[in-house]
Amino acid sequence: MIKGEIEVGPAAVRTAVAERLEHGSALGAYASDRGVRYLFIEKHGVQVLSARVDSSEPVAAVSGTCPGLSWDEREMADEFGIAFDALPDARPFRPVNGELAPAVVATGPGVTQVVVGPVHAGIIEPGRFTFSSGGETIAHLDFQIGFSHRHLEQSFEGADPLDLAPRVARVCGACSASRSLAYAMAVESISDARIADPVHIARQIVVELERVYNHVFDLAVCSAAAGWGFGQAVGLGLKECALRICHAATGHRLLFDAIVPGGVRDGVLDDREEVQTLVVMLQESVEQYVRAIFDNTSLISRWSETGTLTYDAARALAVVGPAHRASGGLVDVRDAAPYGAYRWLPIVAAREEGGDVLARCRVKVAELRDSFRIIHRAFEHLGSRRLNRSAVIPPETGDTVTVVEGPRGAETVALTVRGTVVERVHFISASYRNWPAVAHATTGNIVPDAPLVNKSFNLCYACADR
Amino acid sequence: MAIFNKSIGIRHLVCGSCNGCEHEMNALAGPDYDITQHGWDIVASPRHADVVTVTGPMTEAMRVPAQRTLEAVPGPKVIVAIGDCAVGCGVFAGSAGVGAGACVELGATIAVPGCPPTPSMIKAGLLRAAQALGGPSQPAARDDSMSGSTKVGSTRCTSERAG
Ligand code: SF4
Repeated sequence: MIKGEIEVGPAAVRTAVAERLEHGSALGAYASDRGVRYLFIEKHGVQVLSARVDSSEPVAAVSGTCPGLSWDEREMADEFGIAFDALPDARPFRPVNGELAPAVVATGPGVTQVVVGPVHAGIIEPGRFTFSSGGETIAHLDFQIGFSHRHLEQSFEGADPLDLAPRVARVCGACSASRSLAYAMAVESISDARIADPVHIARQIVVELERVYNHVFDLAVCSAAAGWGFGQAVGLGLKECALRICHAATGHRLLFDAIVPGGVRDGVLDDREEVQTLVVMLQESVEQYVRAIFDNTSLISRWSETGTLTYDAARALAVVGPAHRASGGLVDVRDAAPYGAYRWLPIVAAREEGGDVLARCRVKVAELRDSFRIIHRAFEHLGSRRLNRSAVIPPETGDTVTVVEGPRGAETVALTVRGTVVERVHFISASYRNWPAVAHATTGNIVPDAPLVNKSFNLCYACADR
Repeated sequence: MAIFNKSIGIRHLVCGSCNGCEHEMNALAGPDYDITQHGWDIVASPRHADVVTVTGPMTEAMRVPAQRTLEAVPGPKVIVAIGDCAVGCGVFAGSAGVGAGACVELGATIAVPGCPPTPSMIKAGLLRAAQALGGPSQPAARDDSMSGSTKVGSTRCTSERAG
């Protein structure tokens, strides 16, 4: 999916990134032994901006002007020893010997700090939230991760790219199918494998099912976080229906291992009629659920003007996915740089302006409806055609970047193969991109609304920590 | 009163899970598996817990918080390893970047394999924990989740990874 690569000197990185941001949005940045790379999603593909790094000249950091890339630059500094000039936040990104860097806090008369995590009061992944609040109002929130860091990228180096697929599927459970698709596309692209149209269509069904179960779940937890027990119960029931459809479609409730390099796993979409019938039933129930949500005036009022993320803030923080589109953003990877079946079976992108919890939920409702439309259309085009797997033979050397639109936004995989094994693989998840925006959107809200703002993004920690 | 004995309080520890196990744990709060019908609950403090559920293979940064959580739970307590990673046989087992799972690292005595295990399998594991604490002996779990396997309690993983 790389449409072009520009190389600049380390000192020119900041200006070159600012120029690229005129054309598209940042996907993230990463380092390897060869230097640093900044990735952008533009019309028709990924633009790469790279700089070779040597010890004599530091890289001109971009996180001062594009704070959304702060995590990426801190990670590059920690893990690859990249020297940056003017890094506004130079704290170690992940815990060192199990200890996190001190949190950034607000101070002043009447301001107090409360630390929450890493262990939380529910079924929640580990992260540390340090709230500084004056009375009920949150003055600052510092959110730190790293507790789920499994050193996955290092442990994947040297692996056969095909053997790696089941581990890539388990980098994160909630966006597994999307990441498996991006990874399969990367392996197939460097191996020059041709994927048959029916397989592309089957994959489209699988990743749209992932969006369906996640978006329904998001509505359920946003109901729960606003204290609406009925909405939570109905939403969780519908999510369970969606997971059972995923099982009927792929043999796995969370779609693990359904998409593999070369095609889809044997047995995927064997019983198409059954899956279609179940999807129709779910769609009808989801419509009733959505009606109940929007009929609930007190819920809507709680969702309105809570956790507002302005267009400018979303842009500066390089926000992706439904959160980006709820703040007036226009990018949906399926639409901007279509891949697989999206090239001829397009989506209708959703967009809202409000940037609050309500806008994010509205975008997800619109996307849910579009997912159902996409799934039905995909089944029509698929008919009874067989899903033959293509041969994939990893080359001696190869390098690519792929990106797909997962439930939370752009899921990026950067893969370099050398000597037929993985030399470097880097995952930039939508959750990694969006976490800083959660902290930003929470600031200024009242403490009891913090979980609601958080749930309106409903991000994962596993794919951000890796 | 006997049927409410033992109304277990559950504290959940995530030690490097991929979040897949959490998705299935979350279903326990939904209408299909609703654990509150057994008097069970996910509690907001380790001081209120009888059972600690653990997912993930264990990470460097979670070792101390996990130990502290276990120390804060009053006895008698039961530790349940949820999922292949915590049981010690997941896809990342043996990788230098992760630990050996909750059975080895935290002394979990009940293992619920699966990647992830279904909500019904998790419920069956929790029932065993309740029994170990002197609770009801009637099996409460029923598998509606279309899983091929409901095997619980083995410390070896099921060959079938489908969850
Ligand atoms: S057992 Fe499977 S689903 Fe559970 S945390 Fe490990 S990889 Fe994820």
